[in-house]
Amino acid sequence: MKKILALILALCLSLSLAACGGNNAPQDQNSPAGDDPATTTAPAQSAAVEEGGDTESDVAYVQAQGTLYVGITNFAPMDYKEAGSDEWIGFDADMAKAFAESLGVNVEFQEITWDYKVQELDSKTIDCVWNGMTINDEVTAAMAVSDPYCTNYQVLVYPADKAAEFEGLTSLEGLYVAVESGSAGEDAAEALGATTVPVQAQSNTLMEVQSGNSDAAVIDVLMAAEMTGEGTSYADLAYSLNLNEAQGLESENYGVGFRKGSDLVDAFNEFWAQAVADGTVLEIATTYGLQDAVILE
Amino acid sequence: MPILDVRNIEKHFGETRVLEDISFSLEQGQALAIIGSSGSGKTTLLRCLNFLERPDQGVIRVKDHVIFDARDPATQQESEVRRKRLHFGLVFQSFNLFPQYTALRNVTLAKELLAREQPEFKTRKKEVLAEIEREGLQLLERMGLADRAGHYPNQLSGGQQQRVAIARALALHPDILCFDEPTSALDPELTGEVLKVIRTLAEQKTTMIIVTHEMAFARDVADQLIFMDSGVIVEQGDPQQVINHPREERTRQFLARYRQEA
Amino acid sequence: MIEFFQSPVTQTILTALNQGFIVTLELFFVTLIGAIPLGLVIAFGSMNRLAPLARPTRWLLRRRGREPRWFARALIVFRPIQLICRLLVWIVRGTPLILQIIAIYYVPGLVMDGGTPWPRGEMGRMTAVCVAFIINYAFYFSEIFRGGIQGVPKGQQEAGLVLGMTKGQIFFKVTLLQMVKRIVPPMSNEIITLVKDTSLSRAIALQEVIWAAESFMKGNQGISGLWWPLMFTAVYYLAFSAIVTMVLGRLEKKLDYFQV
Repeated sequence: MKKILALILALCLSLSLAACGGNNAPQDQNSPAGDDPATTTAPAQSAAVEEGGDTESDVAYVQAQGTLYVGITNFAPMDYKEAGSDEWIGFDADMAKAFAESLGVNVEFQEITWDYKVQELDSKTIDCVWNGMTINDEVTAAMAVSDPYCTNYQVLVYPADKAAEFEGLTSLEGLYVAVESGSAGEDAAEALGATTVPVQAQSNTLMEVQSGNSDAAVIDVLMAAEMTGEGTSYADLAYSLNLNEAQGLESENYGVGFRKGSDLVDAFNEFWAQAVADGTVLEIATTYGLQDAVILE
Repeated sequence: MPILDVRNIEKHFGETRVLEDISFSLEQGQALAIIGSSGSGKTTLLRCLNFLERPDQGVIRVKDHVIFDARDPATQQESEVRRKRLHFGLVFQSFNLFPQYTALRNVTLAKELLAREQPEFKTRKKEVLAEIEREGLQLLERMGLADRAGHYPNQLSGGQQQRVAIARALALHPDILCFDEPTSALDPELTGEVLKVIRTLAEQKTTMIIVTHEMAFARDVADQLIFMDSGVIVEQGDPQQVINHPREERTRQFLARYRQEA
Repeated sequence: MIEFFQSPVTQTILTALNQGFIVTLELFFVTLIGAIPLGLVIAFGSMNRLAPLARPTRWLLRRRGREPRWFARALIVFRPIQLICRLLVWIVRGTPLILQIIAIYYVPGLVMDGGTPWPRGEMGRMTAVCVAFIINYAFYFSEIFRGGIQGVPKGQQEAGLVLGMTKGQIFFKVTLLQMVKRIVPPMSNEIITLVKDTSLSRAIALQEVIWAAESFMKGNQGISGLWWPLMFTAVYYLAFSAIVTMVLGRLEKKLDYFQV
């Protein structure tokens, strides 16, 4: 079975290579290979770089390209657009703009399909995943992740009028729980015995609960705070039950993901420490109501 | 000097031999009729002359020029074949008119395409096209179809379609006009009009090869007659003599069978 | 009703849907323009009768005076161009388009040293999706074209040949229009399927009309939890396929003047 799959993939691949070979020849000139002075001195470094990583400096690559591509999903309050506006704003978006400026490059926000974030990074269609990404084993196995910059935990969201049934639960057995496919919330819900209903995005889980298709949802507390309760589209939903606590786990941390072995991680950590020190982080976090969640150490 | 001279033509389809040692010649202005049962190789012979099939053996000469020699690849070059085909015209059993064109356009299309390849075409475009159209209309008139020039093939009867096809073949002024069972696909009441046209052409001394099942017609119109069976020429000669007093047993049998059916 | 359409929320949503549908239309037209000629080339490829081993094999058989057995027969009918084309037809028609889109967009970047060969950003996604769609639809079209060309009676070609026409003249002046007439009905089916298939491009996050509509379910520009925009995209698709049907219907009618 695996062989057949590999064969088919190889055939598709050869097809696609043939296709782009014809189409995109001029594009290759933009690639950093060889013509960048920084790369010619790289061999000494390359031994230290993990397998799967590039032998060249990622910072140099991004600077040669002139643009930092930031992979995001539409996720308030981290990356979102205001009504009638075409500009990406939010805590992550604003910080990303500042980071790009520190590198001396432009920033482009690219909406991605969350399931393909690693492929997006590795194929260099984006340079980082910066979208309230919870640091877990899967993430650290596939990407180079920055120091944590924000805390988070998973919460259970349910209809407010059924609050009595849900508060204080220690097991989710027998419940249909909507989660974002591949998210930390999915792991947490499964660990507590829920029958999970994976959907495309965290916000879609709220639709599931609102429409009665699922009993409850597990999402990030930041998102739950932003999107449920009075003054939101989901006024009838409430949340409680810290699932991290219920499992006896520490809170989660948000981090920014880069390609494996990328030196953009160091550049980011340096930038962030600087931004914490000069108060930029707290200022922007306060704008989006995240002053309690952001890590200022 | 004969206008057409065919020597020792042989043709196989895979392991099957369909033509064997075919030789004959034809004088300018003469009509040659070829008769024989179906599968005897008559149609294949016509297709060989028109380069729709390539003989395995043999030589074909037109006006003393070798236009095909199976042993000389130089005579078979694809680029040359197109020009050599123009020595011959071919009228198909199933007409094969181009359905998307009017009768007139069917007649003029090939001539116009050839004219466009001439270097001086651009300078004399209007005159040339007008001349081709005038000639096309004249041909249709000769076929008794002056009032059908603007009709599409599906608006014409079988007999009318076949007459358009004859005009189309004549438009390129071939040295030799070939007919492949021109009336076999027609209802009996429509064969007469087509045979009449061919008869007129014979009277005007058009050089023709006619593959046909119409014995009486072949006898009356042709100057020469060939009887084929199983890929070989069994008997050839004067039509009156071959049909009325065949020398060969096979010819006698074929004619007897034919008379029974008729 | 009018109030509903004038409300700022609806206006925002319709603007986003319009933008998304423009992307849908771009993909649709680029695919058509690219896939039709490419499909024709593939159709000729899969009809190509070039058999380079036939002559030497026959010659060898004749020299040795042997009857051809299965191996010799296989060599005689070995037609590499035709074989490759039909193999590709099988692969492209036999795998899901969504898989082809993902493979074409991600795999080159994952295996090549310099990263993705596609331009980065939205433009690159669009290009990759267009290439995937053109390849996929070209192979589907090629089979329709092949049927159309092979459906034209051989006598038409022979009539052209004996009138001294070149192969090119025969194709363009004789066969093409008859083929077009034959393929209009099956092509109409494929083209309407193409309108709807464009939505598969959101697998690699191309911001077409369904993606735009879905964004208002999960939250976009302060609007979330709305399902009607998704259902409303049906209006766009229906309107467009009505136009396509009409145009192709006209073409069919225009070719009614002759019969094949």
